[in-house]
Amino acid sequence: MPDFALRAANITRTYGERRALDGFSLDVPTGGVFGLLGPNGSGKSTFIAMLAAMETPESGSLEVLGGPPSRALRGRVATVFQENTADPLMRAAEYLRFAGKLFGLSAVDLKTRIPELLARFGLGERARDPVSSLSGGMRRRLEVARALLHRPELLLLDEPTTGIDAEERAILWNTLRASAEKVTILLATNDLGEADSVCDAVAFIQSGRVVVAGTPAQLKAGLRRESVRITWPGVSSEQLARVTAWDGAGEVARDGDVVAVTTDDASTFVPRLFDLAPGEIRSVTIATASLEDAYFQHVQRRAGERVG
Amino acid sequence: MSGALVIASRDLMAVVRSRSQLYSSMFTPLLFLVFLGNGVSQGLEPSNLPDGNFTAYLVAGAVVMTSVFSSTFSSASYYRDRDSGLLRLLLSAPLHPRALLLGKSLAALVIGVIQAMVVLLVAAPFVDFEWQYGVIPGLLIAVAAIVLLNLMLTGLAQALASRIQTMQGFHLLMNLALFPLLFFSGAFFPIDGLPAWLRVLALANPLTYAVDALELAVYASSDATFIGLGIDFTILGTLAAATYLLGLSRTPKLTYSGS
Repeated sequence: MPDFALRAANITRTYGERRALDGFSLDVPTGGVFGLLGPNGSGKSTFIAMLAAMETPESGSLEVLGGPPSRALRGRVATVFQENTADPLMRAAEYLRFAGKLFGLSAVDLKTRIPELLARFGLGERARDPVSSLSGGMRRRLEVARALLHRPELLLLDEPTTGIDAEERAILWNTLRASAEKVTILLATNDLGEADSVCDAVAFIQSGRVVVAGTPAQLKAGLRRESVRITWPGVSSEQLARVTAWDGAGEVARDGDVVAVTTDDASTFVPRLFDLAPGEIRSVTIATASLEDAYFQHVQRRAGERVG
Repeated sequence: MSGALVIASRDLMAVVRSRSQLYSSMFTPLLFLVFLGNGVSQGLEPSNLPDGNFTAYLVAGAVVMTSVFSSTFSSASYYRDRDSGLLRLLLSAPLHPRALLLGKSLAALVIGVIQAMVVLLVAAPFVDFEWQYGVIPGLLIAVAAIVLLNLMLTGLAQALASRIQTMQGFHLLMNLALFPLLFFSGAFFPIDGLPAWLRVLALANPLTYAVDALELAVYASSDATFIGLGIDFTILGTLAAATYLLGLSRTPKLTYSGS
Protein backbone atom coordinates (compact mmCIF):
# COMPACT_ATOMS: atom_id res chain seq x y z
CA MET A 1 0.00 0.00 0.00
CA PRO A 2 1.52 3.38 -0.97
CA ASP A 3 2.23 5.96 1.77
CA PHE A 4 0.05 8.47 -0.03
CA ALA A 5 -3.47 7.82 -1.26
CA LEU A 6 -3.09 10.69 -3.64
CA ARG A 7 -0.44 13.16 -4.73
CA ALA A 8 -1.26 16.20 -6.80
CA ALA A 9 1.37 18.61 -8.03
CA ASN A 10 0.70 21.93 -9.68
CA ILE A 11 -2.55 20.92 -11.39
CA THR A 12 -4.42 23.36 -13.58
CA ARG A 13 -7.82 23.08 -15.21
CA THR A 14 -9.78 25.84 -16.92
CA TYR A 15 -13.36 26.05 -18.15
CA GLY A 16 -13.54 28.83 -20.70
CA GLU A 17 -12.22 31.93 -18.99
CA ARG A 18 -12.55 30.41 -15.54
CA ARG A 19 -9.55 28.75 -13.89
CA ALA A 20 -11.08 26.05 -11.67
CA LEU A 21 -7.75 24.64 -10.51
CA ASP A 22 -4.72 26.87 -10.55
CA GLY A 23 -1.48 25.26 -9.41
CA PHE A 24 -3.28 22.84 -7.09
CA SER A 25 -0.82 20.75 -5.04
CA LEU A 26 -1.73 18.33 -2.27
CA ASP A 27 -0.48 15.09 -0.70
CA VAL A 28 -3.01 12.98 1.18
CA PRO A 29 -1.59 10.17 3.34
CA THR A 30 -3.12 6.71 3.21
CA GLY A 31 -5.81 6.08 5.85
CA GLY A 32 -8.01 8.39 7.87
CA VAL A 33 -10.28 11.21 6.84
CA PHE A 34 -8.81 14.16 4.96
CA GLY A 35 -10.92 17.28 4.55
CA LEU A 36 -10.87 19.55 1.55
CA LEU A 37 -12.38 22.81 2.73
CA GLY A 38 -13.23 25.74 0.57
CA PRO A 39 -16.05 28.01 -0.48
CA ASN A 40 -18.40 27.13 -3.33
CA GLY A 41 -16.57 27.41 -6.63
CA SER A 42 -13.13 26.92 -5.09
CA GLY A 43 -12.40 23.81 -7.20
CA LYS A 44 -13.28 20.98 -4.80
CA SER A 45 -15.68 19.15 -7.13
CA THR A 46 -13.36 19.53 -10.09
CA PHE A 47 -10.54 17.95 -8.11
CA ILE A 48 -12.81 15.11 -6.95
CA ALA A 49 -13.86 14.50 -10.55
CA MET A 50 -10.19 14.23 -11.52
CA LEU A 51 -9.52 11.68 -8.79
CA ALA A 52 -12.43 9.63 -10.11
CA ALA A 53 -10.91 9.83 -13.62
CA MET A 54 -13.94 11.76 -14.85
CA GLU A 55 -11.90 14.87 -15.63
CA THR A 56 -8.30 15.34 -16.72
CA PRO A 57 -5.79 17.99 -15.64
CA GLU A 58 -4.48 20.31 -18.31
CA SER A 59 -1.09 20.40 -16.66
CA GLY A 60 0.60 19.12 -13.53
CA SER A 61 0.80 15.57 -12.24
CA LEU A 62 -1.73 13.49 -10.36
CA GLU A 63 -1.23 10.12 -8.71
CA VAL A 64 -4.08 8.15 -7.13
CA LEU A 65 -3.36 4.98 -5.13
CA GLY A 66 0.12 4.87 -6.61
CA GLY A 67 -0.81 5.38 -10.26
CA PRO A 68 -2.37 7.87 -12.65
CA PRO A 69 -6.17 8.14 -12.57
CA SER A 70 -7.63 5.69 -15.08
CA ARG A 71 -10.77 3.79 -15.89
CA ALA A 72 -9.31 0.64 -14.34
CA LEU A 73 -8.51 2.54 -11.16
CA ARG A 74 -12.18 3.48 -10.75
CA GLY A 75 -12.78 0.00 -9.40
CA ARG A 76 -10.61 0.91 -6.37
CA VAL A 77 -12.18 4.33 -5.87
CA ALA A 78 -15.74 5.28 -4.96
CA THR A 79 -17.42 8.64 -5.13
CA VAL A 80 -20.41 9.99 -3.26
CA PHE A 81 -21.46 12.97 -5.30
CA GLN A 82 -23.15 16.12 -4.07
CA GLU A 83 -26.29 15.02 -5.88
CA ASN A 84 -28.02 11.71 -5.28
CA THR A 85 -27.37 9.27 -8.10
CA ALA A 86 -29.98 6.66 -7.15
CA ASP A 87 -32.58 6.10 -9.84
CA PRO A 88 -35.93 7.03 -8.22
CA LEU A 89 -37.64 4.27 -10.22
CA MET A 90 -35.51 1.58 -8.57
CA ARG A 91 -35.95 -0.04 -5.18
CA ALA A 92 -33.17 0.47 -2.64
CA ALA A 93 -31.68 -3.03 -2.91
CA GLU A 94 -32.16 -3.02 -6.66
CA TYR A 95 -30.11 0.18 -6.94
CA LEU A 96 -27.28 -1.38 -4.96
CA ARG A 97 -27.40 -4.49 -7.16
CA PHE A 98 -27.24 -2.32 -10.27
CA ALA A 99 -24.31 -0.29 -8.92
CA GLY A 100 -22.53 -3.44 -7.76
CA LYS A 101 -22.77 -4.97 -11.21
CA LEU A 102 -21.42 -1.78 -12.77
CA PHE A 103 -18.39 -2.08 -10.50
CA GLY A 104 -17.91 -5.74 -11.40
CA LEU A 105 -19.17 -7.48 -8.26
CA SER A 106 -20.37 -11.05 -8.70
CA ALA A 107 -23.98 -12.07 -8.05
CA VAL A 108 -22.78 -14.27 -5.16
CA ASP A 109 -20.91 -11.38 -3.55
CA LEU A 110 -23.87 -9.04 -4.01
CA LYS A 111 -26.21 -11.50 -2.36
CA THR A 112 -24.41 -11.12 0.96
CA ARG A 113 -22.97 -7.63 0.60
CA ILE A 114 -26.25 -5.80 -0.13
CA PRO A 115 -28.23 -6.96 2.92
CA GLU A 116 -25.15 -6.44 5.08
CA LEU A 117 -24.69 -2.81 4.00
CA LEU A 118 -28.41 -2.01 4.05
CA ALA A 119 -28.63 -3.32 7.60
CA ARG A 120 -25.52 -1.43 8.69
CA PHE A 121 -26.87 1.85 7.34
CA GLY A 122 -30.29 1.30 8.91
CA LEU A 123 -32.04 0.60 5.62
CA GLY A 124 -32.65 -3.13 6.00
CA GLU A 125 -36.40 -2.73 6.31
CA ARG A 126 -36.54 -0.36 3.34
CA ALA A 127 -34.71 -2.68 0.94
CA ARG A 128 -37.78 -3.24 -1.23
CA ASP A 129 -39.03 0.33 -1.09
CA PRO A 130 -38.66 2.61 -4.11
CA VAL A 131 -35.80 5.09 -3.79
CA SER A 132 -38.33 7.87 -4.38
CA SER A 133 -40.04 6.98 -1.08
CA LEU A 134 -36.88 7.36 1.04
CA SER A 135 -36.21 10.50 3.06
CA GLY A 136 -33.30 12.80 2.16
CA GLY A 137 -31.15 11.37 4.93
CA MET A 138 -31.94 7.78 3.94
CA ARG A 139 -31.00 8.51 0.37
CA ARG A 140 -27.64 9.88 1.50
CA ARG A 141 -27.08 6.74 3.57
CA LEU A 142 -27.99 4.66 0.54
CA GLU A 143 -25.43 6.60 -1.51
CA VAL A 144 -22.70 5.91 1.03
CA ALA A 145 -23.69 2.24 1.22
CA ARG A 146 -23.51 2.11 -2.58
CA ALA A 147 -20.04 3.66 -2.51
CA LEU A 148 -18.75 1.07 -0.02
CA LEU A 149 -20.27 -1.84 -1.95
CA HIS A 150 -17.16 -2.68 -3.99
CA ARG A 151 -14.79 -2.18 -1.02
CA PRO A 152 -12.95 0.89 -2.34
CA GLU A 153 -9.52 1.88 -1.06
CA LEU A 154 -10.24 5.57 -1.59
CA LEU A 155 -13.65 7.06 -0.83
CA LEU A 156 -14.37 10.49 -2.27
CA LEU A 157 -17.17 12.34 -0.48
CA ASP A 158 -18.30 15.51 -2.20
CA GLU A 159 -20.41 17.39 0.35
CA PRO A 160 -22.14 14.15 1.38
CA THR A 161 -24.28 15.58 4.16
CA THR A 162 -25.64 18.65 2.43
CA GLY A 163 -29.33 19.10 3.15
CA ILE A 164 -29.67 16.52 5.93
CA ASP A 165 -30.33 17.17 9.59
CA ALA A 166 -27.81 16.87 12.43
CA GLU A 167 -29.15 13.52 13.63
CA GLU A 168 -28.94 11.94 10.17
CA ARG A 169 -25.46 13.41 9.80
CA ALA A 170 -24.31 11.78 13.03
CA ILE A 171 -25.80 8.42 12.02
CA LEU A 172 -24.11 8.59 8.67
CA TRP A 173 -20.68 9.46 10.03
CA ASN A 174 -20.82 6.92 12.84
CA THR A 175 -21.74 4.16 10.40
CA LEU A 176 -19.21 5.32 7.87
CA ARG A 177 -16.40 5.41 10.41
CA ALA A 178 -17.28 1.89 11.54
CA SER A 179 -17.61 0.55 7.99
CA ALA A 180 -14.59 2.12 6.37
CA GLU A 181 -11.73 1.60 8.79
CA LYS A 182 -9.22 0.68 6.10
CA VAL A 183 -10.40 3.23 3.58
CA THR A 184 -8.86 6.62 2.94
CA ILE A 185 -11.65 9.17 2.92
CA LEU A 186 -11.38 12.50 1.14
CA LEU A 187 -14.17 14.78 2.29
CA ALA A 188 -14.88 17.90 0.25
CA THR A 189 -17.06 20.24 2.23
CA ASN A 190 -17.73 23.80 3.17
CA ASP A 191 -19.11 22.74 6.55
CA LEU A 192 -16.25 23.63 8.87
CA GLY A 193 -17.91 22.17 11.95
CA GLU A 194 -18.31 18.80 10.30
CA ALA A 195 -14.70 18.85 9.11
CA ASP A 196 -13.46 19.80 12.58
CA SER A 197 -15.26 16.84 14.12
CA VAL A 198 -14.44 14.11 11.58
CA CYS A 199 -11.19 14.98 9.79
CA ASP A 200 -7.73 13.86 10.81
CA ALA A 201 -6.20 16.46 8.52
CA VAL A 202 -7.53 19.21 6.27
CA ALA A 203 -6.52 21.49 3.45
CA PHE A 204 -8.06 24.90 2.91
CA ILE A 205 -8.50 25.68 -0.74
CA GLN A 206 -9.39 28.89 -2.43
CA SER A 207 -9.52 29.96 -6.06
CA GLY A 208 -8.32 26.55 -7.23
CA ARG A 209 -5.26 26.15 -5.03
CA VAL A 210 -4.36 24.87 -1.59
CA VAL A 211 -3.82 27.74 0.82
CA VAL A 212 -2.67 25.67 3.79
CA ALA A 213 -2.85 22.04 4.96
CA GLY A 214 -2.34 20.25 8.25
CA THR A 215 -4.14 18.64 11.16
CA PRO A 216 -6.91 20.73 12.74
CA ALA A 217 -4.71 21.09 15.83
CA GLN A 218 -1.80 22.40 13.77
CA LEU A 219 -4.00 24.89 11.97
CA LYS A 220 -5.55 26.12 15.20
CA ALA A 221 -2.19 26.32 16.96
CA GLY A 222 -1.30 29.62 15.33
CA LEU A 223 -4.46 31.24 16.60
CA ARG A 224 -5.00 32.97 19.91
CA ARG A 225 -6.83 30.96 22.52
CA GLU A 226 -10.26 32.47 22.20
CA SER A 227 -12.43 33.55 19.36
CA VAL A 228 -14.75 36.52 19.67
CA ARG A 229 -17.56 37.04 17.13
CA ILE A 230 -19.03 40.50 17.22
CA THR A 231 -22.18 41.59 15.45
CA TRP A 232 -21.21 45.15 14.73
CA PRO A 233 -23.24 46.90 12.01
CA GLY A 234 -21.58 49.94 10.55
CA VAL A 235 -18.13 49.19 11.92
CA SER A 236 -15.58 51.53 10.36
CA SER A 237 -12.13 50.66 9.08
CA GLU A 238 -10.65 53.04 11.64
CA GLN A 239 -12.36 51.15 14.45
CA LEU A 240 -11.10 47.83 13.09
CA ALA A 241 -7.58 49.19 12.78
CA ARG A 242 -7.67 50.21 16.45
CA VAL A 243 -8.91 46.75 17.51
CA THR A 244 -6.16 45.11 15.48
CA ALA A 245 -3.53 47.25 17.24
CA TRP A 246 -4.61 46.21 20.75
CA ASP A 247 -2.31 44.01 22.79
CA GLY A 248 -3.57 40.42 22.83
CA ALA A 249 -5.58 40.77 19.61
CA GLY A 250 -4.74 38.21 16.94
CA GLU A 251 -6.45 37.83 13.59
CA VAL A 252 -9.25 40.27 12.79
CA ALA A 253 -11.57 39.42 9.91
CA ARG A 254 -14.79 41.01 8.79
CA ASP A 255 -17.66 39.33 6.98
CA GLY A 256 -20.51 41.83 6.52
CA ASP A 257 -21.78 42.91 9.92
CA VAL A 258 -19.78 40.21 11.72
CA VAL A 259 -16.25 40.79 12.92
CA ALA A 260 -14.24 37.76 14.06
CA VAL A 261 -11.27 38.37 16.34
CA THR A 262 -8.95 35.90 18.02
CA THR A 263 -7.54 36.99 21.33
CA ASP A 264 -5.46 35.77 24.28
CA ASP A 265 -8.03 36.88 26.83
CA ALA A 266 -11.60 37.72 25.90
CA SER A 267 -12.43 38.93 29.45
CA THR A 268 -10.24 42.02 29.01
CA PHE A 269 -10.82 42.35 25.27
CA VAL A 270 -14.63 42.56 25.27
CA PRO A 271 -15.00 45.47 27.76
CA ARG A 272 -12.58 47.50 25.63
CA LEU A 273 -14.83 46.85 22.64
CA PHE A 274 -17.85 48.35 24.38
CA ASP A 275 -15.75 51.35 25.41
CA LEU A 276 -14.67 51.81 21.80
CA ALA A 277 -18.15 51.60 20.30
CA PRO A 278 -20.79 52.27 22.93
CA GLY A 279 -24.28 51.37 21.64
CA GLU A 280 -23.02 50.08 18.29
CA ILE A 281 -22.39 46.43 19.11
CA ARG A 282 -25.45 44.16 18.90
CA SER A 283 -23.97 40.92 20.24
CA VAL A 284 -20.73 39.25 21.25
CA THR A 285 -20.04 35.50 21.25
CA ILE A 286 -16.93 34.07 22.86
CA ALA A 287 -15.68 30.58 21.97
CA THR A 288 -12.52 28.52 22.02
CA ALA A 289 -10.66 28.93 18.73
CA SER A 290 -12.09 26.51 16.13
CA LEU A 291 -11.21 25.25 12.70
CA GLU A 292 -13.58 27.89 11.42
CA ASP A 293 -11.35 30.57 12.92
CA ALA A 294 -8.33 28.99 11.30
CA TYR A 295 -10.23 28.86 8.01
CA PHE A 296 -11.18 32.52 8.17
CA GLN A 297 -7.64 33.43 9.03
CA HIS A 298 -6.12 31.65 6.05
CA VAL A 299 -8.83 31.90 3.43
CA GLN A 300 -9.94 35.45 4.10
CA ARG A 301 -6.33 36.55 4.16
CA ARG A 302 -5.93 35.31 0.61
CA ALA A 303 -9.16 37.02 -0.41
CA GLY A 304 -7.70 40.27 0.82
CA GLU A 305 -10.47 40.75 3.35
CA ARG A 306 -8.33 40.47 6.41
CA VAL A 307 -8.12 43.64 8.40
CA GLY A 308 -4.87 44.94 9.75
CA MET B 1 -20.32 -6.06 -22.97
CA SER B 2 -21.62 -7.14 -19.55
CA GLY B 3 -21.66 -3.49 -18.45
CA ALA B 4 -23.73 -2.62 -21.54
CA LEU B 5 -26.20 -5.39 -20.69
CA VAL B 6 -26.51 -4.15 -17.10
CA ILE B 7 -27.30 -0.66 -18.40
CA ALA B 8 -29.66 -2.00 -21.07
CA SER B 9 -31.62 -4.07 -18.54
CA ARG B 10 -31.92 -1.08 -16.22
CA ASP B 11 -33.19 1.13 -19.07
CA LEU B 12 -35.74 -1.52 -20.04
CA MET B 13 -36.88 -1.76 -16.43
CA ALA B 14 -37.22 2.04 -16.32
CA VAL B 15 -39.44 2.02 -19.42
CA VAL B 16 -41.63 -0.75 -18.01
CA ARG B 17 -42.04 1.09 -14.70
CA SER B 18 -42.55 4.47 -16.32
CA ARG B 19 -45.75 3.35 -18.02
CA SER B 20 -46.40 6.61 -19.84
CA GLN B 21 -43.41 6.00 -22.09
CA LEU B 22 -44.43 2.40 -22.64
CA TYR B 23 -47.85 3.29 -23.97
CA SER B 24 -47.45 6.77 -25.43
CA SER B 25 -45.23 5.71 -28.34
CA MET B 26 -47.93 3.33 -29.55
CA PHE B 27 -50.99 5.38 -28.66
CA THR B 28 -50.72 8.14 -31.28
CA PRO B 29 -49.96 5.79 -34.20
CA LEU B 30 -52.90 3.56 -33.19
CA LEU B 31 -55.13 6.65 -33.05
CA PHE B 32 -54.00 7.51 -36.57
CA LEU B 33 -54.95 4.03 -37.68
CA VAL B 34 -58.38 4.08 -36.09
CA PHE B 35 -59.50 7.60 -36.92
CA LEU B 36 -57.50 8.68 -39.96
CA GLY B 37 -57.59 5.21 -41.52
CA ASN B 38 -61.31 4.68 -41.13
CA GLY B 39 -62.13 8.28 -41.88
CA VAL B 40 -60.25 8.38 -45.16
CA SER B 41 -61.27 4.83 -46.17
CA GLN B 42 -64.93 5.47 -45.71
CA GLY B 43 -65.16 9.19 -46.28
CA LEU B 44 -62.76 9.80 -49.15
CA GLU B 45 -62.36 6.39 -50.76
CA PRO B 46 -58.92 7.06 -52.23
CA SER B 47 -58.74 5.46 -55.62
CA ASN B 48 -54.97 5.39 -56.02
CA LEU B 49 -54.28 2.77 -53.34
CA PRO B 50 -53.11 -0.37 -55.08
CA ASP B 51 -54.45 -2.91 -52.59
CA GLY B 52 -57.00 -3.05 -49.80
CA ASN B 53 -58.29 -0.10 -47.85
CA PHE B 54 -56.54 2.96 -46.45
CA THR B 55 -56.45 1.62 -42.89
CA ALA B 56 -54.48 -1.41 -44.05
CA TYR B 57 -52.20 0.85 -46.04
CA LEU B 58 -51.66 3.10 -43.03
CA VAL B 59 -50.37 0.29 -40.79
CA ALA B 60 -46.83 0.47 -42.19
CA GLY B 61 -46.78 4.24 -41.57
CA ALA B 62 -48.10 3.71 -38.03
CA VAL B 63 -45.32 1.21 -37.37
CA VAL B 64 -42.70 3.67 -38.61
CA MET B 65 -44.28 6.46 -36.57
CA THR B 66 -44.15 4.25 -33.47
CA SER B 67 -40.45 3.68 -34.05
CA VAL B 68 -39.87 7.42 -34.44
CA PHE B 69 -41.63 8.17 -31.14
CA SER B 70 -39.99 5.27 -29.36
CA SER B 71 -36.44 6.14 -30.38
CA THR B 72 -37.03 9.76 -29.38
CA PHE B 73 -38.37 8.83 -25.94
CA SER B 74 -35.70 6.22 -25.34
CA SER B 75 -32.80 8.47 -26.24
CA ALA B 76 -34.22 11.13 -23.95
CA SER B 77 -33.32 8.76 -21.10
CA TYR B 78 -29.83 10.22 -21.38
CA TYR B 79 -31.23 13.55 -20.17
CA ARG B 80 -33.32 11.91 -17.44
CA ASP B 81 -30.25 10.08 -16.16
CA ARG B 82 -28.23 13.27 -16.26
CA ASP B 83 -30.90 15.20 -14.36
CA SER B 84 -31.52 12.45 -11.80
CA GLY B 85 -27.77 12.14 -11.14
CA LEU B 86 -27.53 8.53 -12.31
CA LEU B 87 -25.26 9.53 -15.20
CA ARG B 88 -22.58 10.52 -12.68
CA LEU B 89 -22.60 7.02 -11.26
CA LEU B 90 -22.44 5.50 -14.74
CA LEU B 91 -19.50 7.69 -15.70
CA SER B 92 -17.65 6.96 -12.47
CA ALA B 93 -17.89 3.18 -12.98
CA PRO B 94 -14.94 1.29 -14.44
CA LEU B 95 -16.69 0.87 -17.79
CA HIS B 96 -15.70 2.01 -21.24
CA PRO B 97 -17.97 4.96 -22.09
CA ARG B 98 -19.07 3.06 -25.19
CA ALA B 99 -20.55 0.38 -22.92
CA LEU B 100 -22.89 3.07 -21.64
CA LEU B 101 -23.90 4.08 -25.16
CA LEU B 102 -24.22 0.49 -26.29
CA GLY B 103 -26.40 -0.39 -23.29
CA LYS B 104 -28.69 2.56 -23.81
CA SER B 105 -29.01 1.94 -27.53
CA LEU B 106 -29.70 -1.77 -26.99
CA ALA B 107 -32.54 -0.90 -24.62
CA ALA B 108 -33.90 1.67 -27.09
CA LEU B 109 -33.67 -0.88 -29.89
CA VAL B 110 -35.50 -3.59 -27.93
CA ILE B 111 -38.26 -1.22 -26.82
CA GLY B 112 -38.63 0.28 -30.31
CA VAL B 113 -38.86 -3.10 -32.01
CA ILE B 114 -41.34 -4.47 -29.44
CA GLN B 115 -43.56 -1.40 -29.63
CA ALA B 116 -43.53 -1.37 -33.43
CA MET B 117 -44.35 -5.08 -33.56
CA VAL B 118 -47.19 -4.58 -31.06
CA VAL B 119 -48.74 -1.95 -33.34
CA LEU B 120 -48.38 -4.26 -36.35
CA LEU B 121 -49.82 -7.26 -34.53
CA VAL B 122 -52.66 -5.32 -32.92
CA ALA B 123 -53.68 -3.94 -36.32
CA ALA B 124 -53.25 -7.16 -38.32
CA PRO B 125 -56.51 -8.93 -37.32
CA PHE B 126 -58.60 -5.86 -38.13
CA VAL B 127 -57.29 -4.94 -41.57
CA ASP B 128 -57.10 -6.64 -44.91
CA PHE B 129 -53.42 -7.54 -45.39
CA GLU B 130 -52.41 -9.38 -48.56
CA TRP B 131 -49.31 -11.15 -47.14
CA GLN B 132 -47.99 -11.63 -50.68
CA TYR B 133 -44.98 -13.68 -49.48
CA GLY B 134 -47.03 -15.61 -46.89
CA VAL B 135 -47.69 -14.68 -43.25
CA ILE B 136 -44.48 -16.02 -41.65
CA PRO B 137 -42.08 -14.73 -44.37
CA GLY B 138 -43.99 -11.46 -44.37
CA LEU B 139 -43.62 -11.14 -40.63
CA LEU B 140 -39.90 -11.95 -40.85
CA ILE B 141 -39.43 -9.28 -43.51
CA ALA B 142 -41.36 -6.83 -41.33
CA VAL B 143 -39.23 -7.67 -38.28
CA ALA B 144 -36.03 -7.19 -40.31
CA ALA B 145 -37.25 -3.82 -41.60
CA ILE B 146 -38.32 -2.74 -38.10
CA VAL B 147 -34.97 -3.74 -36.58
CA LEU B 148 -33.02 -1.80 -39.22
CA LEU B 149 -35.34 1.19 -38.91
CA ASN B 150 -34.94 1.25 -35.14
CA LEU B 151 -31.16 0.85 -35.38
CA MET B 152 -31.11 3.84 -37.70
CA LEU B 153 -33.42 5.99 -35.56
CA THR B 154 -31.74 5.03 -32.28
CA GLY B 155 -28.32 5.88 -33.71
CA LEU B 156 -29.60 9.21 -35.00
CA ALA B 157 -31.35 10.06 -31.71
CA GLN B 158 -28.30 9.08 -29.67
CA ALA B 159 -25.97 11.09 -31.89
CA LEU B 160 -28.20 14.14 -31.43
CA ALA B 161 -28.64 13.58 -27.68
CA SER B 162 -24.88 13.58 -27.16
CA ARG B 163 -24.60 16.96 -28.89
CA ILE B 164 -27.63 18.85 -27.59
CA GLN B 165 -27.55 20.21 -24.05
CA THR B 166 -31.25 20.27 -23.16
CA MET B 167 -34.03 17.71 -23.45
CA GLN B 168 -36.34 20.40 -24.82
CA GLY B 169 -33.87 21.18 -27.59
CA PHE B 170 -33.48 17.49 -28.34
CA HIS B 171 -37.24 16.90 -28.64
CA LEU B 172 -37.63 20.01 -30.75
CA LEU B 173 -34.93 18.94 -33.17
CA MET B 174 -36.20 15.36 -33.39
CA ASN B 175 -39.70 16.62 -34.14
CA LEU B 176 -38.43 19.13 -36.66
CA ALA B 177 -36.33 16.52 -38.42
CA LEU B 178 -38.55 13.46 -38.27
CA PHE B 179 -42.12 14.71 -38.64
CA PRO B 180 -41.59 16.21 -42.11
CA LEU B 181 -39.80 13.01 -43.08
CA LEU B 182 -42.83 11.01 -41.95
CA PHE B 183 -45.15 13.06 -44.15
CA PHE B 184 -43.40 12.30 -47.42
CA SER B 185 -42.23 8.78 -46.63
CA GLY B 186 -45.32 7.06 -48.00
CA ALA B 187 -46.56 6.62 -44.44
CA PHE B 188 -49.85 8.41 -45.09
CA PHE B 189 -50.20 8.19 -48.89
CA PRO B 190 -48.41 6.29 -51.66
CA ILE B 191 -45.43 8.09 -53.18
CA ASP B 192 -46.10 6.53 -56.57
CA GLY B 193 -48.56 9.16 -57.69
CA LEU B 194 -46.77 12.19 -56.20
CA PRO B 195 -45.55 15.17 -58.25
CA ALA B 196 -41.99 14.66 -59.50
CA TRP B 197 -40.38 17.12 -57.02
CA LEU B 198 -42.13 15.52 -54.05
CA ARG B 199 -41.24 12.06 -55.28
CA VAL B 200 -37.55 13.09 -55.42
CA LEU B 201 -37.81 14.25 -51.82
CA ALA B 202 -39.53 11.02 -50.87
CA LEU B 203 -36.80 8.94 -52.49
CA ALA B 204 -34.16 10.92 -50.58
CA ASN B 205 -36.00 10.16 -47.34
CA PRO B 206 -34.66 7.16 -45.37
CA LEU B 207 -38.05 6.48 -43.79
CA THR B 208 -39.51 5.85 -47.27
CA TYR B 209 -37.58 2.61 -47.56
CA ALA B 210 -38.83 1.32 -44.20
CA VAL B 211 -42.43 2.12 -45.15
CA ASP B 212 -41.92 0.51 -48.54
CA ALA B 213 -40.47 -2.70 -47.07
CA LEU B 214 -43.31 -2.93 -44.55
CA GLU B 215 -45.98 -2.31 -47.20
CA LEU B 216 -44.44 -5.02 -49.37
CA ALA B 217 -44.24 -7.43 -46.42
CA VAL B 218 -47.81 -7.15 -45.19
CA TYR B 219 -50.05 -4.92 -47.30
CA ALA B 220 -49.23 -5.23 -51.01
CA SER B 221 -50.40 -8.00 -53.31
CA SER B 222 -47.52 -7.40 -55.77
CA ASP B 223 -44.25 -5.44 -56.05
CA ALA B 224 -45.71 -3.15 -58.74
CA THR B 225 -45.82 0.52 -57.74
CA PHE B 226 -43.39 -0.11 -54.84
CA ILE B 227 -39.63 0.45 -54.71
CA GLY B 228 -38.68 -3.16 -54.01
CA LEU B 229 -37.21 -5.07 -51.08
CA GLY B 230 -33.68 -5.25 -52.57
CA ILE B 231 -33.28 -1.48 -52.67
CA ASP B 232 -35.17 -1.02 -49.40
CA PHE B 233 -32.89 -3.32 -47.40
CA THR B 234 -29.69 -2.11 -49.07
CA ILE B 235 -30.45 1.48 -48.15
CA LEU B 236 -31.88 0.69 -44.71
CA GLY B 237 -28.94 -1.60 -43.87
CA THR B 238 -26.35 0.94 -44.95
CA LEU B 239 -28.00 3.82 -43.12
CA ALA B 240 -28.67 1.72 -40.01
CA ALA B 241 -25.00 0.72 -39.77
CA ALA B 242 -23.79 4.27 -40.41
CA THR B 243 -26.11 6.05 -37.96
CA TYR B 244 -25.79 3.41 -35.25
CA LEU B 245 -22.00 3.73 -35.37
CA LEU B 246 -22.40 7.52 -35.36
CA GLY B 247 -24.54 7.19 -32.23
CA LEU B 248 -21.79 5.24 -30.52
CA SER B 249 -19.07 7.64 -31.62
CA ARG B 250 -19.41 10.43 -29.10
CA THR B 251 -19.25 9.54 -25.45
CA PRO B 252 -21.47 11.44 -23.04
CA LYS B 253 -19.72 13.88 -20.76
CA LEU B 254 -20.77 15.80 -17.72
CA THR B 255 -19.91 19.44 -17.73
CA TYR B 256 -18.11 20.70 -14.68
CA SER B 257 -18.43 24.37 -14.07
CA GLY B 258 -15.31 24.29 -12.00
CA SER B 259 -16.96 24.36 -8.60
